[in-house]
Amino acid sequence: MAKIGIMSFAHMHANGYAACLNELPEAELVAVWDDNAKRGREAAKQYGTSFVGDMDRFLESGLDGVIVTSENVKHRAMVEAAAAAGKWVLCEKPLATTVADAKAIIAACKKAEVGLSTAFPCRFSPPLIEVRDLIESGEYGVLYAANCTNNGQCPGGWFAQEELSGGGATMDHTVHVADLLRWMTGREFTWVYCENGMLVHDNLGMDDLGSLHMEMEGGLKVSHTASWSRCKSFPAWGDVTLEIVAEKGVIAVDAFNQKLDVYNDNAMKAEWAHWGSNPDLGLVKEFVASCDERRAPSVTGLDGLRAVEVTVAAYKSAKSGRVVKV
Amino acid sequence: MNVAIIGCNGMGRMHAQMAVNCGFNVVACADLELSTARSVASGFDADATDDCFGVLTRPDVDVVGIMTPTPTHTEYVVAAAKAGKHIFCEKPFGRTVQQCKEAIAAAKKARVKLFVGHVVRYFQEFEAMRAQVAQGKVGKVGFVRLYRGGIFPAGQSGWFRDLEQSGGVTLDSMIHDFDWLRYVFGDADRVFCQALQRTVPNHVDYSMATFRMKNGIIAKVIGTWAHPSGFRVEAEICGDQGIIQFNSDDTPLKAMKRTAPGAGASMIVPSSPVHTSPYQLEWEDFKVWLDGKLRARVTPEDALEAVRMATAALKSAETGKPVKL
Repeated sequence: MAKIGIMSFAHMHANGYAACLNELPEAELVAVWDDNAKRGREAAKQYGTSFVGDMDRFLESGLDGVIVTSENVKHRAMVEAAAAAGKWVLCEKPLATTVADAKAIIAACKKAEVGLSTAFPCRFSPPLIEVRDLIESGEYGVLYAANCTNNGQCPGGWFAQEELSGGGATMDHTVHVADLLRWMTGREFTWVYCENGMLVHDNLGMDDLGSLHMEMEGGLKVSHTASWSRCKSFPAWGDVTLEIVAEKGVIAVDAFNQKLDVYNDNAMKAEWAHWGSNPDLGLVKEFVASCDERRAPSVTGLDGLRAVEVTVAAYKSAKSGRVVKV
Repeated sequence: MNVAIIGCNGMGRMHAQMAVNCGFNVVACADLELSTARSVASGFDADATDDCFGVLTRPDVDVVGIMTPTPTHTEYVVAAAKAGKHIFCEKPFGRTVQQCKEAIAAAKKARVKLFVGHVVRYFQEFEAMRAQVAQGKVGKVGFVRLYRGGIFPAGQSGWFRDLEQSGGVTLDSMIHDFDWLRYVFGDADRVFCQALQRTVPNHVDYSMATFRMKNGIIAKVIGTWAHPSGFRVEAEICGDQGIIQFNSDDTPLKAMKRTAPGAGASMIVPSSPVHTSPYQLEWEDFKVWLDGKLRARVTPEDALEAVRMATAALKSAETGKPVKL
């Protein structure tokens, strides 16, 4: 039985991970710590666990691992503290908002000899696993191009405060697809071009959409749309889609397109009820197993760093109007 | 009014029918392959010829429809204009911006009317999207995504395969979307584009372009000639108050024919029938202009700007850098 704690419920994904921990018989959500005590107390109550207000006490409470789901810029301090206390760490994406912070996170975990994982749940989505399997089978031959999206609704709150989030939709919604493509193809990104801005909100104060063009090793051409373009009346939170063009055909995936159309007069909007497998569960299960077995998780800190490098290059490109090497 | 159709292989037959539907007489069909000209002419009780320039000077011809491969458009437009004929030219208007300019100058000099078939402006679903935007249904537009394509087109003697001639999917197909973007959202400031343009081992093209419009809107346009089958159009328009989405796969009609007893459907043919074909609407619009009434929805200058957007996208794909328009 792995004992897991959650550091901060600032990111809404903490709720999903907490629910997974409660669902998994091999894991126990032992404690919650949050620098916002009210939020932490409420979350602890909701998920039937205890709230510990002092971070040092929290880290000394016999945990095997922690999940860090704070505001993006606080990842580094929390991961460093957890690593120093010898805890395995699953850190929400993006791993960090700067390359320096991401490298520091990796270095801290290496020094403490603890496992570090970046929360890329898409790697545990069955439709996306199927895509990777199809690519690996070689049946589609050489990969030529990929056209991707990760659209979502604007999460608001701290996400829209650059000093806490490090950036807008380009920061929030580039890393999943960057990681998926690295994972599926085994290639690294070589350059990025990005146009972004505040396009579909009135006064957000930061980018809510980025249109990226990239290349991966071997000349694989990639375009990606990272956005918070989904309006409040849209039937779902968003999407992850990839259309991969290869020598022997095309593979198109809309990862969350396992849904019911639901019409409900109380909501006064159509809603999509997802019935596909929950990718979070696979992510958390793998992290729990890595804590239990004291081994490195399958999704690593380096994976998190590589995705951060793409995102940072995208912002550099958007600012300079030029292609930026990764 | 009498029409001569030049280029009978691809769109020729369909345009001849649309012209007839609008009250034109098709009197001559020309193609470098006489048998091809004959196959269309016979359906309209018209003369067939392989003299594509000769037919332009026939005194009984008032309007010339140019449906030939893209790089030949300009010489036919110039010759038709010199002969004093009005012109319906298929898109792309020309292979280069310079060619488009020459064609416009020739038509101006001869005082003939020159119409370029940017048919997407006449598609009911695109007109409906334009109306929804105009009615403010999505608020202030910030992002547009357009997607178009399917299989690599065959084309007369494979001229589509010669990317120098056809410009690939970026010029030949995405030009529809480039024109519609300008039509609805104004001029573009710059473009970044990646295009496959592969000929070995298969002919596949796949092009991904991002335009920054002068008003700040970002438009992503994807064109594919890389799919093993089918054809699909998608559109998405995002504003500060809503989203419009269109997907041509979502059709009102799907016909499935059983070819043998006990066998399943061998092919599913989806269709989205409308009362009047968009191709007929563009001929009707051209006719209104010819009758001396309103100017047509598409001007030759619009068609030139669409070619400018496409050639800028191709230049970006070639150089790996953003290109200013």
